[in-house]
Amino acid sequence: MAQLLEQFINGLVLGGIYALIAVGYTMVYGIIQLINFAHGEIFMFGAYLALMLITVFNIPFWIALPASMLLCALLGMLIDLVAYRPLRDAPRLSALITAIGISLVLQNLARMIWSARPRLFPTETLPAFLVSEVNMQTGEILNAIPLPGGGILPYRDVFILLLAVVLMIGLNRLIYLTKIGKAMRACAQNRVASNLMGIKTNQVIAVTFAIGSALGAIAGIMVGLSENITPTMGYYKGVAAFAAAVLGGIGNITGAMLGGIIIGLAEVFGAGYISSGYRLAIAYIIMIAVIVIRPSGLFGKSTGTRA
Amino acid sequence: MRNWLVGLLIVGFVSVLGCQPQDKKNTSTTQTTQKELKVAVAAPYTGGAAAFGEMIRRGAELKEKEINEAGGINGMKLTLLFEDDAGKGSEASLVAERIANNPQILAVVGHFNSDCSLAGQEIYDRAGIVELSPGSTAVEVCEGSPWTFRNLYHDGFQGKFIAHYLDNVLTGIESVAVFFDNDAYGRGLRNAFVAEAEKIGLTLVASEAYERDSTNFKAQLTSIKAKNPDAIFISGLYTEASLIVKQGREAGITAQFFGADGVDSPDFLTIAGSAAEGTYLTTPFTFGAGGAEAQQMAADFETLHGVAPDTWAALTYDAVGMIKEALEKTYNAEASIEDNRKAIREHLASLDTPEKGYEGITGLTYFDIKGDTVNKPAYVKIVKDGQFVAAEKQLSELK
Repeated sequence: MAQLLEQFINGLVLGGIYALIAVGYTMVYGIIQLINFAHGEIFMFGAYLALMLITVFNIPFWIALPASMLLCALLGMLIDLVAYRPLRDAPRLSALITAIGISLVLQNLARMIWSARPRLFPTETLPAFLVSEVNMQTGEILNAIPLPGGGILPYRDVFILLLAVVLMIGLNRLIYLTKIGKAMRACAQNRVASNLMGIKTNQVIAVTFAIGSALGAIAGIMVGLSENITPTMGYYKGVAAFAAAVLGGIGNITGAMLGGIIIGLAEVFGAGYISSGYRLAIAYIIMIAVIVIRPSGLFGKSTGTRA
Repeated sequence: MRNWLVGLLIVGFVSVLGCQPQDKKNTSTTQTTQKELKVAVAAPYTGGAAAFGEMIRRGAELKEKEINEAGGINGMKLTLLFEDDAGKGSEASLVAERIANNPQILAVVGHFNSDCSLAGQEIYDRAGIVELSPGSTAVEVCEGSPWTFRNLYHDGFQGKFIAHYLDNVLTGIESVAVFFDNDAYGRGLRNAFVAEAEKIGLTLVASEAYERDSTNFKAQLTSIKAKNPDAIFISGLYTEASLIVKQGREAGITAQFFGADGVDSPDFLTIAGSAAEGTYLTTPFTFGAGGAEAQQMAADFETLHGVAPDTWAALTYDAVGMIKEALEKTYNAEASIEDNRKAIREHLASLDTPEKGYEGITGLTYFDIKGDTVNKPAYVKIVKDGQFVAAEKQLSELK
């Protein structure tokens, strides 16, 4: 029972991270019908940029976190400007292939700059409450909440979950309550008509890339807190997050959030109770099962022309 | 304006990418004045096992430098070609084909990962070229081909050794869990360990697998924690092991962690940080156990590369030395490449008794009929104050 609860929390934390990445995929798809394969690499850059700010420039974690988000937002906008905007009216396949190309360029760029050696945030540079560790003599665990039945819940996991929830609510409010959010929804409905109504669609698309990339960056940093940072991390996490976006109904933000949680839970329960060799396979089986029953995903609208 | 920007970016990338191959060409053409003997050193210079590859390269470079400064091999220069297999079997097959089809390469030192050595085995066997591994320990590596050799123990011995160490040397260990990498090395070592552990009465409470390049082990660790083992044996490489140890301590696991030689890399300490403290591991060699020549090599290594050598640098240093000795005794400039490659194999195969063995810094190396080294012991190290040190108690009588 204690194990079940702990696995559930493991799944929620992983799912929260997937949700943050999946939102980036789904927002861009919603507005320009492009699967931005470079998004996983932006997530990876988020982690590396924060690591560089902390270790090379000695910037405290709490400043490096938003700084890296900002840099990644700029990177996302730059990619849109250089690679996708010239292809806005080209066949969709051209933009998709460009996205794959950008993803490979960024991954290899990271390998050239930072080498393939895995890295981690040095423990001493992180805020103390984010580092939980067991005391080997007493078995007591620092910076964690004991759960009934002997399990533990590290403060770090609470932090990641809270952050994911706050960001998701914030994003939701932004899209439904602000002017730019309204413009984004208008563009998603019909870009040409929005343009005719005086919405600067290219700016709106740039903002969409910026928001998605900033959320991806923060997910990258959260992953870096307990897993390692490598040039290929964007691929592994990106594939799962992409499945989450499709599962939830690509183009739908609530769907991406829920999809992330479902994939995260499926992976953890699959690895914990069945076999770790199938962890991604289980996530994909769930995705395929949902798509077979509801071809446009959990929350997707079937419009006929899209998807 | 925009097209101009895109154009500039493309030109920039092409020129960056274009630079490297040119550089390589320039360096290789300037060195052909003297007769060279070429030997390939195949290892993971990139990818998740890159820290091993880096030490292998440095160890090989030191030996190459020493050989050439001492007049080369019968007046000919030794040139090492570093071939990157990225630690992946699929990549190793390509590298092996390239090496086997290069009529200038006389022998191969490598590969490191057992998966890679196995992928190369068939190709080297067909081409008739020696594969001398300074790191692969899976039992199958030396089976099925007369061309494969290694200068360290194999996992049949290592797995058994670890089971005995846990049972006889460490106190209070009755139940164990195994967490293994799902590749040739991880599975083979796990099987050897489990067979012996069950024979000598340790209780195996959990056996969980993970895939290479995984970074999140919390699900499996939570399952293992629920079984409450006294010790957890990690049968895999340092990249994953360091995260397993770290995430395990974060999840409140207090069990004794035990690793094998795949964990023996300074990168294990940097990634795992304070969670690495107290972890035991086995290794085929430690400088503490080496003689004066090993200390000399360690000092020279530090002068050349600025860091201390590790186990793999030492074993590679010896492997290159063995190939050098073989070339010295057998190389015939008049003979065909096939005959020269064959002569190296014959020489290595003839080192079959302690008297005929090669005396290197890692001890005496001689081969059994399969090409295995059966005389070399295993050492146990422990992480103490962020460093690898020899464990207080060693287990030397087990053979």
